Amino acid sequence: MSAYPTTCPFCACGCGFYLLSNNGQLAGVAPSENHPVSGGKLCARGWSAHEATLWGDRLRRPLLRRNGKPEPVPWSEALDSITGRLQALISAGKPVGLLGSPRASNEENYLAAKFARAGLQTNNVDFSYHSTCRPLLSGIGDVYGDRTPTASISTIESCQTVLLVEGDLAKTHPRVASAVMKAVENGAHLITVGYRTTQMARLSSLHLSVLPGDEGEVITGLLAAVFDLQQQNRTPAAAVGGGYESFCQNVKNIKRTAELQQAAEWIVRAPRATFLLAVNGGHGDQSRKDAATFASLAAISGHPERPGSGLLLLLPRSNVRGACDMGSACGHLPGYVSFDDEKARQRLQQLWSKKLPSDRGWEAEELLQHVSGLIILADDPPSVVPMGQRAMAALEKIEFLAVLDAFVTPTIRAAHVALPIASFAETEGTLTNMEGRVQRLRAAANPPGEAKAGWQVLAELCSSFGVGDACSSTKDVLREITQAVPRYAAVEQLPKDDWGDVLLENSDNPDFQLDFTGSQGVAAPACAERPYVLVREGSFDWGRDPLVYYSPTLSRDYQSERKLFPNGFVEMSKRDADARNLSGGRRVRIASAHGDAIVPIQLRTDLKAGVVSVPYAFRDHLASVLGPDHATAVSIELP
Amino acid sequence: MAFVIEKQATTTWLQKLLECGEVIAPVRGPCGDILFSSVHSPDQVAWDFQNPLSPPKQVVLPQTDPLIKITRNAGSYEVEPVYDDGRRFLFNVRSCDAKGIAFLTQMYEMEPADASYLRRARSLTIISLACNKPCPLGFCICSGSGPFLSEGYDVQLTDLGESYLVEVGSEKGEAAISGASNLFRSATEEEVSQRQRMEVEAKNHFEEETCHFASAMRRISTGRVQDALWEKMSDWCLECGACNMVCPTCYCFSVKDLSEDGTWIRCRIWDSCQYAAFTLEASGHNPRADRKQRMKRRFFHKVSAQYYQRDGVVGCVGCGRCIKVCLGSTDMPAVVGAIRKGKWNE
Repeated sequence: MSAYPTTCPFCACGCGFYLLSNNGQLAGVAPSENHPVSGGKLCARGWSAHEATLWGDRLRRPLLRRNGKPEPVPWSEALDSITGRLQALISAGKPVGLLGSPRASNEENYLAAKFARAGLQTNNVDFSYHSTCRPLLSGIGDVYGDRTPTASISTIESCQTVLLVEGDLAKTHPRVASAVMKAVENGAHLITVGYRTTQMARLSSLHLSVLPGDEGEVITGLLAAVFDLQQQNRTPAAAVGGGYESFCQNVKNIKRTAELQQAAEWIVRAPRATFLLAVNGGHGDQSRKDAATFASLAAISGHPERPGSGLLLLLPRSNVRGACDMGSACGHLPGYVSFDDEKARQRLQQLWSKKLPSDRGWEAEELLQHVSGLIILADDPPSVVPMGQRAMAALEKIEFLAVLDAFVTPTIRAAHVALPIASFAETEGTLTNMEGRVQRLRAAANPPGEAKAGWQVLAELCSSFGVGDACSSTKDVLREITQAVPRYAAVEQLPKDDWGDVLLENSDNPDFQLDFTGSQGVAAPACAERPYVLVREGSFDWGRDPLVYYSPTLSRDYQSERKLFPNGFVEMSKRDADARNLSGGRRVRIASAHGDAIVPIQLRTDLKAGVVSVPYAFRDHLASVLGPDHATAVSIELP
Repeated sequence: MAFVIEKQATTTWLQKLLECGEVIAPVRGPCGDILFSSVHSPDQVAWDFQNPLSPPKQVVLPQTDPLIKITRNAGSYEVEPVYDDGRRFLFNVRSCDAKGIAFLTQMYEMEPADASYLRRARSLTIISLACNKPCPLGFCICSGSGPFLSEGYDVQLTDLGESYLVEVGSEKGEAAISGASNLFRSATEEEVSQRQRMEVEAKNHFEEETCHFASAMRRISTGRVQDALWEKMSDWCLECGACNMVCPTCYCFSVKDLSEDGTWIRCRIWDSCQYAAFTLEASGHNPRADRKQRMKRRFFHKVSAQYYQRDGVVGCVGCGRCIKVCLGSTDMPAVVGAIRKGKWNE
């Protein structure tokens, strides 16, 4: 039995464990007491991390679609086909693009972005989860620029106050939930904001119950209450921020309730506090505003200046931050700097010896609708984006689709060329977690059949388009990343053998620009005609992610739920259902201004009255009701 | 019968064992953690170490355990068992873990006996290292599984300073030292009584009995634990299943076929009774859909008089691993304490 230390590929906590292998075959997982994030604690996903690679439907040979049927072909033929087809499309003036992935390593995302921008000469580069988290990254950026005072997971335990805007932390990020639990056990005040009395809400000192979409309103009230206390205390924290004058004006008329004043007191009085913000997939502009208000609240509390305090955006997938940093994100060059940043563009042009395109490029969802040629790296957009069916229909219409993945996914099945690459357990590379901690992936087994490391395939594609120097190892790619992304300079020193990690430059004394224009609730107003708010719950469906879908242990729940409810369901508060005399399992017609659907209801006691929620996994069944919205007013009638 | 081996002679002994089979021992891994691993040289073996988080149960019950191989031939299927019964030595295993393996064997010996497990377990020689100083979170004394053993080992070593006292507990143990008999001499009476004194002293190191199984057993066996208490405790569990994974006495499993090119390997894989789908029926109905029901079931199996009467021991060896790995705070001593007091975190 051999043990290979590596980084967990699921959520963005960035836990570490040993992958165990027996005669070259993956056999299990062992925890590590020494790991800086997980310290020996793993969630169910971590404990089963080896399973999908072992049991998954693996792509073993390159496949080329001929007469509508995928046929195995040699690597050279598959790669030549990609090069030929893409060049033909480009020559014909047709748009091409590429999707990177938060399931892929930094090295893979970097080479993918380089291939698209320098090789294909397009800025149509994105990843399919970007549009969901971009507004939040931007909102926090509006306050802190690129110097966000990021909290570290391990210091949450010693905080006296934790503010958590949910999500459902216990399910999405068990390692962070664990740290929050320890803080509560140590006597910390936990304040939760959300429309569901989740597990964390039940452990809280104060749960601020809101309608979906109204989280910003509560954060605003809290901001005002914290501001009052800071004024009374004559704390100088507020004075150092930019935008102070207009902020004072805007904050005047906001309602402060007794609950909010209590929460504000806990925040201000705590020597250390953590601010946790979930990615809920709300409307872009509103999410950005809410995130900016949230960051302003953190800033004005004075906490981010203190060691042990900070802010964390709860990114759902292991390498969302890496995909952003490596340039696989629309509107951003490597380093997550704006695509029109002249200095960055010059640096990259010099590094890649190519002139770079100057347009912004399309975001993932638009890109799927408009490009004629597309390369997708380790992702299955229909299972990720809010409107999955629309994405699937678009994929099927694309003139030429090439997909690199370790697993067979619906996207792989739609591909004209499918390239088998190594899974996380079979490749070298790095991931960047939500704290900005860059850590290593190490290969514990060989990829199956003819599969190759993803970075190798992308390096070959780069070289076939005459882009940059050949990279012969992940070390070469990492060295190039440190040149392309100055913030990653220290990553070259990443120890080879130890758990060692590199924490990207963090700011202990951040400058900030208060950004607050009076966030108002946006929950669709309840009216007699449509008295409920239907919300699309969560922003990521682990059940369709290959690492969960193919794991015998992890997939049981999800698969059985889909089997039981092939047409999905919505959840309704038991109180509302009782008032209407509706029983669980009853099929109802849900209608909004957009359209209607007939689905069974499940009754929940933890859901706020007036809220009807559809799990992210079943969002497509309610597509006609939700339309483009995240939350919408609905009526419920018997069909 | 007790023997003594000088410390410097253990290298030669280990070399002899390596000639006879695979030696699995605590080894310092690449990132500083101690892991039970196959060794190829005696100097890899750790002698002074905190018991690793990952228990040596992997050696008898691997997380992924091939049971049978199914091959498709022309018009028929061939089924053959997969046995992994090469001779192995589990060296420097702690008392609690040796007891854990004894417990697993007892379970898998029950009818219908599990041939795959038993062949592996019967070809394993357990050479344990008694704990002169109990580990900080251990409570083996509460479940009679340490710090020293009176049974459950093939060979038990006790560190006497310059040498190890060697107690042989079985024929497999005798065979393990007979190949290097020149390295062992009979222990003197003083050496044997020194070992007895060390055991007493080690037991005195437990400042207080950390896990009162007896009183918890009375309450849990007679249904005197309030539902509200299970509900409250279950909010402090994050369903990671780590308590099961690292528990030396947990042995529940699931079965899944690994397929490749006309061959299937039917594997046993570790499972956790804390996962929601553990008791999921094919119909979709789940008799233990709530976390509190699963938690109640786990502790009933571990601690109730009903199982104690059948098995003769509680389902816990007091290794303390669950305290370290629990993502929440529902480890064995915490829950047993809450059951005993009838309240949680108050």
